[in-house]
Amino acid sequence: MRSTTDEVAPHHSDIRLTLPARAENVAVVRHVLGALSEALGLPRDLNNDVRLAVTEACTNVVRHAYAGGDGSIDVVVRSTGGELELVVADNGRGAAPSPDTAGPGYGLPLIEALSDSVEIESSANAGSRLTMRFRRPHRTPAMGFA
Amino acid sequence: MTRPEPPTRVSIAAGPLVGPVLRRVVGMFAARADLPLDRLDDAVLVADVVAARAPAHVADATVDVTLRSETRSLDLCVGPLRAGGGRALVIDAAVPGVGNVIEQLADSVEIETQGEHEFLRVRLAYAGV
Repeated sequence: MRSTTDEVAPHHSDIRLTLPARAENVAVVRHVLGALSEALGLPRDLNNDVRLAVTEACTNVVRHAYAGGDGSIDVVVRSTGGELELVVADNGRGAAPSPDTAGPGYGLPLIEALSDSVEIESSANAGSRLTMRFRRPHRTPAMGFA
Repeated sequence: MTRPEPPTRVSIAAGPLVGPVLRRVVGMFAARADLPLDRLDDAVLVADVVAARAPAHVADATVDVTLRSETRSLDLCVGPLRAGGGRALVIDAAVPGVGNVIEQLADSVEIETQGEHEFLRVRLAYAGV
């Protein structure tokens, strides 16, 4: 169970990252979320859940959004006193069936399990936008590792 | 032939997250540029100074930094800054007893004007073997 912390600041904060959709840049997103968690004093297991969910979302963009071509990942983080909202967006092919079916297909179910709510917006050739929300800090972790 | 990677852009609301986030991103890109440890530390120090001083000079309420790494070099572009903000940010990087951190550590420092805004371009490199 996640620990409660008094260190969570109730201020609003925004981070926006725009990166080339390449596998090595998923680590950049993870590091930024690590810095965010430290700065806000988020509980460790919430941090782990957030980082794992966003890793899955970004990996989906890298693997599926641009069909091997160039493109970007847009990650937006909004923090309020009671909730962390993360948006992972791309300008790719949308949620059309992917020619890459090699993956196990656990990404979206995992994100749904880790977060408190998920919204997906997608249209063909206009990209996708996945919004995850995590309540904090009174929440039982879906998974305590990342 | 490998294509150069497009730049990465990070935009952080001016406030307490600028320092922790920016130093982490700059550190990663300095490592990716294969800068030696002392130059990586220099890059993080520059990031800390930018994080501390830039909020007073930004055009909007965010500190925006564009990063591009190549082999043994890291380019940072800070902005948009308000008019005059580029020079003001460099001047603000002076630390008593130490000198100007950005000017001392960077291989080049340039201020670019685009319309009403300015951008501070800082390059850190390593020419050694």
